[in-house]
Amino acid sequence: MAKFEAGMESMVDMYIFETTSLLEQLDQILMKTENASSFGEEEINEIFRIMHTIKGSSAMMGLENMSHLAHKIEDMFFIIREDNPVINSKNVLFDLVFTASDLLKAEIDLLQEEEYSATDFDGHMAKIEAYANALKSGSDANVADTSAPAAAAPAAKAAPAADTSEMIKVMSNGGESMTTVRIHFEDDCKMENLRALLVVNNIRNECAALNFEPADIEENADTSKYIIDNGFDVSFRPVVDAEVSDVLEIIANSANVKSYEVISEGGATVKEVPAYTLTTIKVTFEEDCKMENLRALLVVNNIREECDEIAFSPEDIEENAETSKDIIENGFTVHFRSSYGDEAIIDAVRKTPNVKNVEIIKTGADAPVAAKADVKLEKAAEKSAEAASETAAVAAKVAEAKKAAEPKAPVAATGGAKQSLISVNLNKLDQLVDMVGEIVITEAMVTSNPDLKGLRLDNFQKAARQLRKLNSELQEIVMSIRMVPLSGAFNKMTRIVRDMKVKLGKDVDLVFEGEETEVDKSVIDNLNDPLMHMVRNSMDHGIEETQEERIAKGKPGKGTITLSAYNSSSEVIIVVADDGSGIDPEKVLNKAEKNGLLTKARTEYTDKEVFNMIMLPGFSTNEQVTEFSGRGVGMDVVKKNIEKIGGSVSVDSKWGEGTQFIIKIPLSLSIVDGMEVSVGQSIFTIPINSIKESFKLKPHQLLKDTDGREMIMIRGECYPLIRLYDVYDLTPATTDLFEGIIILVESEGKWACILADELIGEQQVVVKPFSPMLNNFNVKQNGMAGCSILGDGSITIILDVGNIIADF
Amino acid sequence: MSEEYTKNFMNEGGEVLLFNIDETLYGIEIKYINEIISIEQITVVPKVPEYIKGVINLRGKVVPIISVRRRFGKEEIPYDERTCIIVLEFDDGNQVGIIVDRVREVTNVKPDEICETPDCKNVNANRYIKNIIESGGEIKQLLNCEKLISDL
Repeated sequence: MAKFEAGMESMVDMYIFETTSLLEQLDQILMKTENASSFGEEEINEIFRIMHTIKGSSAMMGLENMSHLAHKIEDMFFIIREDNPVINSKNVLFDLVFTASDLLKAEIDLLQEEEYSATDFDGHMAKIEAYANALKSGSDANVADTSAPAAAAPAAKAAPAADTSEMIKVMSNGGESMTTVRIHFEDDCKMENLRALLVVNNIRNECAALNFEPADIEENADTSKYIIDNGFDVSFRPVVDAEVSDVLEIIANSANVKSYEVISEGGATVKEVPAYTLTTIKVTFEEDCKMENLRALLVVNNIREECDEIAFSPEDIEENAETSKDIIENGFTVHFRSSYGDEAIIDAVRKTPNVKNVEIIKTGADAPVAAKADVKLEKAAEKSAEAASETAAVAAKVAEAKKAAEPKAPVAATGGAKQSLISVNLNKLDQLVDMVGEIVITEAMVTSNPDLKGLRLDNFQKAARQLRKLNSELQEIVMSIRMVPLSGAFNKMTRIVRDMKVKLGKDVDLVFEGEETEVDKSVIDNLNDPLMHMVRNSMDHGIEETQEERIAKGKPGKGTITLSAYNSSSEVIIVVADDGSGIDPEKVLNKAEKNGLLTKARTEYTDKEVFNMIMLPGFSTNEQVTEFSGRGVGMDVVKKNIEKIGGSVSVDSKWGEGTQFIIKIPLSLSIVDGMEVSVGQSIFTIPINSIKESFKLKPHQLLKDTDGREMIMIRGECYPLIRLYDVYDLTPATTDLFEGIIILVESEGKWACILADELIGEQQVVVKPFSPMLNNFNVKQNGMAGCSILGDGSITIILDVGNIIADF
Repeated sequence: MSEEYTKNFMNEGGEVLLFNIDETLYGIEIKYINEIISIEQITVVPKVPEYIKGVINLRGKVVPIISVRRRFGKEEIPYDERTCIIVLEFDDGNQVGIIVDRVREVTNVKPDEICETPDCKNVNANRYIKNIIESGGEIKQLLNCEKLISDL
């Protein structure tokens, strides 16, 4: 992990998580808009919001380069949003943003490494700036158009003492039934223009139409003065399902808003709402805890959600490190109002790290801020009384609506505003899963304890059954917590296909099927790389070079890559299929021969074996190494990664018709219901869901084919017999078919009978993967899926029935 | 394994665990050693080379076990009370146990006691030996642990 200032380190994880998900979101929006080839207002705002958040949080983490890059993109989209220029060179725009997103992602990856030094984004920033400027100048005509409403701003400024009637006139330009509100901010809250922007952003989602005055608050810091003198006027029309009162509520609850008055509602109305009385506390921090300003920010962040209104001094703790000194000397003062009650908030403040003491200075009405507010309000009341008397009725109505909304507020605060999702550190979840695994083992240790053998323990058994039931429920819940839909991993591929489409000049559709299928989180993490390699492989080698080539083969000109996923008993099967040229077995064999990878005569290889050769290390049929694939590392990485998570991968192909990569992954990595069987000294576990039945063989069921291979007839069906000791070169207790136990197993529609010495019992086992050293010897291909530790400490090998049937 | 580390060891020396196979002394740098345990029940893993004896349960971890005798092409001898498993831990957290006849001691090796293995035309010569150590009138062979477990 890169070095951050002490105190920031705890936030790094959160920052990385947040920024990564934002960037993913950005990619998705871009993909969507690129496909639709038009920017909706919503999308622009969303991109804007994402970039803004990244800018802010990066700056907070001290990552100037990322913050600046995000800022540049924000600027560019600001131009797009405000000036609505005609974008002729969409490709350039998308490429710029995509590249920026890639740069940011790469930087985040770098952050997680030990040696981190900030990458220089100047080159790309310059490109963005150049493009942004081109946008701006290239659409001068448009700018003139759209800036017409904004022209009202200077006009209004010219008459700063604009009385209410004038203001209504200006505002009603914006729309027929707009409600106009004048907002006053707390005295000395500083940067009134940005506070105003905050209010605007807060209500933007609720408003179908929104104008504000002064209009240039974001760019022009001088507007602060105007706002202090005259208040900040917002006129809006709520969206269909929102009430005016809802928006007013949001305004009232916005930070630093002291009071507001409704100037006109759908015409003319006057209404003012008093600022709530605030509670004031003084927070002191532990000596020498350093960076008091950030600790203070932490305090504020901790209680911000619970507070309907919050203000603090010093104000600029976030930007100004100097405030630390002030805080050390004078303490950190927080004014707040909360529907949770003062006690809860103060408690929360106390619990914040490094807080030494919390002193309540004022509670309720006698707070100085509130007092000041009252004075201001009186003035406002006088002014509004002069304005219009007929509006009183409407005011009463608004007041009523306000009242009606009031009791709802606490409910909303506890129910709606509270998120029902939390993000948890994956390590903790891993620990939880491990712990559940240990419990399962321990349970087996207790309930099948050798000391209990031969005892009659009815009550014990009853309790043990109950324990087992609860344990399996616990397991299910823990597993379900970790389940994540595959759509995230699939969506990442859209981006890869998009990039390769451009670079390779191939036209390809990417189709998803069953992307809602869920798998364990750790599976997803290990699936991204393999999926990427396979999709790249399909794009690069699978799909034909030209459309003509495809059409000549009687295929549609546009290629298709299909990513599909589905559940099959205890496995998830993911298929990456393309309708390209397929694999030429001859070519593969030639190459394998050249690279010395053949272990038997050419003619002895089945097609399937040949196809799977492409996943051997150091194999690549493509003569030319391209940017995307051809180094012969890709496919064996796929195999390694998938095996790491206990899965398997196979290739199927039809020359001329396409290729399929089939990945099979166990649904849950860790716990399997298994049947223990013994063969000589060894104990094997066969997953219960692949066992169909077990029985003692009767002589009339056995038959042999002409080669002496044994088969078993069960209810008119004939199944091959596999002697487990033969397969694994073990010395069994008995080689007599009629003494041992026959287990009928099934995997993917293939059936076989397995001979073992005896059944030991059914038990849940926790799967432990084989050591990488053993994986070098292809234990997976030999039908061993993993191993597990039994209650008595001995080790059992978990069999992969599919592989046993396929290979023996 | 980092070459840098090897170089450091050559230049500065360090602690080495000595053990016997027959009468030959071998050494392993102390940083690989996780622990030394007495021989215990080994679960056979089928279909792997003969020198991999199987796996053991080391406090909940499944650790593969290699017979050094087998690895060096020697005949197995019956385990006795001096037979040990040295559990090695590698940089990637991977653990592997090796069975040795008996463990002798941990000794500090000075740089001037370490010398390189001779160059041989035969690529397989000295393939598991990293360095030769001569101290106290005895010759010890320093094992290359990575090769020991990874060379197929």
